[in-house]
Amino acid sequence: MSDALVTSWFDPTRVNLLVGIAAFIGFILINIARARRGSDMYIRPMAGLKAVDEAIGRATEMGRRVLYLPGLGDMSEVGTLASISILGRVARRTAEMGCDLDVPGYDPVATTIMDGAARQAYIEAGRGDAYRPGTVHYVAAQQFAYVAAVSGVMLRERPAANIYMGSFYAESLFLAETGNLTGAIQIAGCDQVTQLPFFVCACDYTLLGEELFAAGAFLGREPVQLATIAAQDWAKALAAAMVVASLVASAAGHPELGRLLQTQ
Amino acid sequence: MRNGPLFVTFVVGAGLVAVFFIPHHRVQEAQSVILDWANVVYAFALVLGSLSLWASHQKKFLSRAEGWPYSLVTLAALAFVTVAGSVQGVEEGTLVNKYYNMVNSPLASTMFALLAFFIASAAFRAFRARNAEATLLLGTAIVMMIGRVSVGEFLWSGFPPVTEWLLDVPNLAAKRAIALGIGLGAISTALKIILGIDRTYLGRS
Repeated sequence: MSDALVTSWFDPTRVNLLVGIAAFIGFILINIARARRGSDMYIRPMAGLKAVDEAIGRATEMGRRVLYLPGLGDMSEVGTLASISILGRVARRTAEMGCDLDVPGYDPVATTIMDGAARQAYIEAGRGDAYRPGTVHYVAAQQFAYVAAVSGVMLRERPAANIYMGSFYAESLFLAETGNLTGAIQIAGCDQVTQLPFFVCACDYTLLGEELFAAGAFLGREPVQLATIAAQDWAKALAAAMVVASLVASAAGHPELGRLLQTQ
Repeated sequence: MRNGPLFVTFVVGAGLVAVFFIPHHRVQEAQSVILDWANVVYAFALVLGSLSLWASHQKKFLSRAEGWPYSLVTLAALAFVTVAGSVQGVEEGTLVNKYYNMVNSPLASTMFALLAFFIASAAFRAFRARNAEATLLLGTAIVMMIGRVSVGEFLWSGFPPVTEWLLDVPNLAAKRAIALGIGLGAISTALKIILGIDRTYLGRS
């Protein structure tokens, strides 16, 4: 039996998602307009991100490098895109402070793009000449080969700071524990819920949930970028309100709102 | 021309979001074709990656940097796999296939096996009762560990239901809260890139 060809131009079971995305875009546009008007935008402080400067400063004083690990995601993963954005900010700080940066890559496409982002950050910091070719380098596209190579770098070269930002899987604990053994200051952010406890155990600071995606904007402090964090917070508040409202409505014998929020 | 990449990103990104809501078979087929293009880009990037790997280890080997013998092994392995794979292919029985099954896989399994020791050392550090929260974590961990093995049920039949409750109620609630944040953050990041707000991936601030 062959599947019939679908000829519909809209999937009505996804209307709720479409409305949600439209609302989120609306929040972003409203907050960008507020940012352009110069409105004060409160962004709650994140200890992990404040520690990035401290970690780079410590590495500079010790004359050791900062190891930035972008995770095992490829360019189709949003965690990798967030990691590229954070790398741009971290590279700018290392350039300004004159600290060595080392970025071992897993995915060849992401590695190539990160090389460009880091190089540009050095140029924008006025230190383009200080950018070492090979700062961002490809290691291996195999999980445990990558772990072996990076663990070796940690143990031999003893970077003063290890920054883990992106999508990590089973290698998270290997890398974070090895880094912990070397005494490096460790900051992690991961979009895989199952790996977060490992980072919490082994790192000094861990970014939870959406903090990874807010990190690039937070470190850059540009108003328009900060506006997207505010929009994220609005959306989260709306989602929480909808969850509570559907819970109360269901308890009162009206499960319609709960059904409306279900995704297909 | 300067905004060309931004335009391409916007059209492709917004197009693929739209495709999520359009089940028409022609649109879905077009999406498959576009996603296949990613493999072509990947093949080119793999060459760049291999060159980067060669350059990085060649430099370490020539300058006799610390750990240079590892670089020599990496260079030899890269050269061997490239040449043998080009000449013989990678099918069953070829040198690359044997190398993969007899060297690479056992090494990867060995690395993975070390995870047990890393979990033990991390757990030892995490479960020290330094304050109220850590003590609560320690107590929960003890209940979980006892409740998930058969001796737990033997000691007290209430252990398995308690562990199930811990997993299904407080644990799941926290996981969903974090997952909700991750979902919103992911949408926000994707929109920033589609709308051209974040251009770091293009090497621009």
